[in-house]
Parts: sequence; structure tokens; C-alpha cells
Amino acid sequence: METTTKTTPLNQWHRSHGANMANFGGFDMPLWYDTGVKAEHLAVVQSAGIFDTSHMASVLVTGHQAFDLLQYCHTRDLSSLVDGRCVYGAILNDQGHVIDDAIVYRFQADYYMVCINAGMGTAIADHLASQLSAIQKEKADDTDTNDSTASVDIQDLSGKLGKVDIQGKDAARVLQLLLDNADAVFEKMPYFSFKGHFDEKSPLAQGVQLKDGTPILLSRSGYTGEFGFEIFIHSDSVVALWESILTAGAPFNVIACGLGSRDSLRAGSVLPLSHQDVGPWKFMNHPWMFALPLSSDGKTFTKSFLGDKALLDPTDTFYTLPFAGDNLKKVASGPASLVLDEKGEVLGTVLTCATDMAIGRHEGTVLSIASPNLPEGFKARGISCGFIRVDRPLDVGTRLVLQEKKRKINVTVVSDIRPHRTARRKITDFLEARF
Amino acid sequence: MKEINELNLPENFKYSKDHEWAGMEGDVITIGINDYAQDQLGEVVFVEMPEVGDTFETEDEFGTVESVKAVSELYCPIAGEVVAINEDLEDAPELVNESPYEKGWIMKMKIADPSEMDTLMDKAAYLEMLKG
Repeated sequence: METTTKTTPLNQWHRSHGANMANFGGFDMPLWYDTGVKAEHLAVVQSAGIFDTSHMASVLVTGHQAFDLLQYCHTRDLSSLVDGRCVYGAILNDQGHVIDDAIVYRFQADYYMVCINAGMGTAIADHLASQLSAIQKEKADDTDTNDSTASVDIQDLSGKLGKVDIQGKDAARVLQLLLDNADAVFEKMPYFSFKGHFDEKSPLAQGVQLKDGTPILLSRSGYTGEFGFEIFIHSDSVVALWESILTAGAPFNVIACGLGSRDSLRAGSVLPLSHQDVGPWKFMNHPWMFALPLSSDGKTFTKSFLGDKALLDPTDTFYTLPFAGDNLKKVASGPASLVLDEKGEVLGTVLTCATDMAIGRHEGTVLSIASPNLPEGFKARGISCGFIRVDRPLDVGTRLVLQEKKRKINVTVVSDIRPHRTARRKITDFLEARF
Repeated sequence: MKEINELNLPENFKYSKDHEWAGMEGDVITIGINDYAQDQLGEVVFVEMPEVGDTFETEDEFGTVESVKAVSELYCPIAGEVVAINEDLEDAPELVNESPYEKGWIMKMKIADPSEMDTLMDKAAYLEMLKG
């Protein structure tokens, strides 16, 4: 992590729009605006919201060994990744601990982008560069030739690239008003695919442009569990994009959202926060096992990668599990909050505890304000949720107590939290007329 | 966050060091959290209240206020017995932010010793404490 406080191109906008600001990952970022966290959380579930995510870092990895380097350093098996698709995984050290989680974007066979967390650009670029010799050695051993022309170019885009996420079911309808040739852009654009490029010099930049010609990289992904997009754009154009989304989105009640609602939305969607839910411990036995290249028997991996041997070593392993509270009462996130079984034995600590304000219980079932056929009188009072890290496996349904000093809340181990999320739905579901 | 000079602190209430306010009518006091506390806490999403008939000593915890940001314990500024709680807060906890001294009151207590009110701070003394 870098230490001086940085700002995104939208810092003045946030400050002049009543944002409550705080340091996050070395950046001065909005936690929420005058509308409040709850309204922001609900807007994303009901209509759409936008988030300034320009604090996140991106690194371009290009060259004919770019694939080999990322295949060795990222936990996903990238051999099945095709142009225009991206995947979520983690970058580990040789102990199998998480340096950062990362989405890898494949533009072409020798051209990738790695999107990571705030302040991690330099660290990840340095880490990738440090592993170059490992893959080159492996190649040399394999082929018995000294491939001295091997090269990978690693470029940290921190500071040059901005990012805005528009999340919620009305996201495509709003972007339709702002994109040149929106119908063609939205064609064949499934979850975790992307089009376009933020660099006007790239031939791919023709792929997606705003109506004023500004090129963007449009990715069908996000961090809220709801349908939407992440937009990568040159940092000079971030403010104009942000304001145009708010103007075009006003009839849909699209509002600016801060990191507070981003945190509660992602917790309700069982998505981890890097350095809090995944971090300096083994990246095993957690809700994100899809991010590992597990073979069909689940006991080995389909590729070799940095940290793989440590992951398969069963010692020093924790179990990370999602939980849901009985109601909206929460405890603090972090190791000061303990996990106890019903007899009072300490099993571990709380990683994340947040309240998803869009959900509530009805006759024992968790429903969301976006659930179909809501029963009359249903009120989403909110449910606390998040992740615990314990020393043993626990079945779904296990009752636990989370304790922060004197305060105790009752929770249950679950497999999922907010129902009826929209992230994976088809674009066409949200482009047709509402009536 | 509000600056200290932006805080709304009515002159007719007394204030505790834990940022509660108390207003007296006869031998019944009404208690809530003040403008400084609601502003610091941020959006209140839940208020855990005592039950009518509960009795508390001075400094006893009588409930919690839960915001999006934090959970804060409520401490009883004066000993007494709970005679009413604000049931509107169950469905509308945001009243604590929107109207901390009127619609957002938390409980009413019958107090044993009205002179205990003198142990609380008036607006000027409370502001001095905030300024440190």
C-alpha cells in the first residue's frame, strides 16, 4: 500500500455534493452522500447507482509471454479465456496467501489487463516482474533452448485511468442514451465479457465510444451482485462521463453511491473484500473456490501456478464461510469480533459484518425488495451478513454467536445471502419496455 | 460532519457526557441522543430500546443505536423507571437523525431524584466539553 492520500478525478465533485469522505486504500473517497447509505443501497437494487471506482488500479501485461506469466501468477486457468472475456481470481505468493484479488481481461492472446485494488498497482506490477524469471526458467527447462527474445511488458496504469461503475437493472437503459451505436455494443455481451478500449490509439477503441467520440472499455461486471457495467476511461474524461450518467439517469432515479453502500451490497452478494475477506492466509476453503483451477475431482489443479503446492498442503488452513444474522444487528468487522459456537467455544474471527438493507425475513425465508410476488406487508428491515474465518468446516445452517466486547448477535452459516440478484441476467431482460 | 458551531443544541435541555439530551416535565424526563451524536453516528438504522417498567441506575446501559457505520451504547444519564418508549422508532429509526429532539426521542423515565438533573450539563458547558 502507498501511504500519501491520493484523490480521484471526481474528488471535487464528491466534496461539492455533500459526500462524507474517508481514507480507503490510500485514497480520499466518498462513503456516502446526502441521500444516505440506505437510499444508495436500495437504489442499486431497485433502479441503478453509480460508483467512483477510479481508486482501483490496472496493469497492462503484453508481449508473447504475457499469457505464461499470468497463467503462473493468477489462480484461474486462463487457457480457456478467449478475447473479450474476463475472469475473477487471485494473485498469490508462494505460501498460497493472497497478495490481491484480480480480474484478468484478455484483449488478445498476447495482450491482457489486470484490474486490482486501490494502491496495489506498483506492488502487483513489481510482483509480476519478479516472477518473469520463474516462467522463463521453466520454459528454458522445457524446451532446452535459451529463449532470450522472451519479453513481457508490464505497465501500471495507476493515475492515467479512471473507472466508473453503473450498477442496477436500469444500467443498460441509461448507457443506451450515452453510447454511440448502443444496440451493436449490447449485442452478445454476457456476464464477464467486455468490449472497447480506453486508449484512443488502440484499434479496439473503435468498439465502444460515447456519443462525443470518447473511447471506453465497457465491462459487464461489478461488485454489487446486481446487473451492470464497469467503465474504464481515460482519467481526463471521468468527470464528464459521471455527470452525463447522472443527467441521463435522472428519469430512472440513478444516484451517486459511496463506498458504504458498495460494501453492504457486495457483502449481501457473497463477494469478498481484498485484504479483509481474502488476505495473508491460504486461499482455500472459502465461498470463491470457482476462482481456483480445480480439477473435476476437486483434489488437484489443472495447471501449476505460484502458491499451488501450499494450497494443497492441508496444514495451517482456515475455513471462510458466509453468514446471515437473525436481524439487522451487526458487530464490527475485523478480528476484535469473535465467532463462538452455541457452547461458547471460540472458533475464529469475523472478517466482514455489514447490513444488507434490501432484504428481510418473511416466515423464515429471506426476501429482497426486488423479489417477485412479494407477500403483502413484507418489509425489508435489513439483515446483517458477511464472512467469518474459523478453524474447522461448518455445515450450512450451523448456529453461531458473533461477539464484539459485550455485544452478541446470533447468526447462521448460509450458502447465499440476498436472493434474486440480477448480475447474471441477460441484457435484453433489462432493455425491453417496462410495461 | 457538522462543525461545532453548526450543532443544534436547544437551551431548554440538559446534556450528558455521552451525548444524550434530557428534558424535564414534572418528575418525568424525556431522553434522546443529541445533534452531535446523530451527526457522528450517521444514518441510524436501528434503535434497541428498553421496555416500559425497566429500571436503571445512572450510567447503566439502556439500549443501543445502530447506524450504518457503528453501534453505539446508550447510557442512562439519571436513575429512574421507564414509563414510555418511542415506538415510532421501530419502523422509522431515521427519526433519530431527522428530528433528534422531537420525533426522535427514545424513552421517558420517571426519576426518583429531580435534583439529579443538576449533574447534567447545560448547552454552554456541553459545548465547552466538545471543544475539549
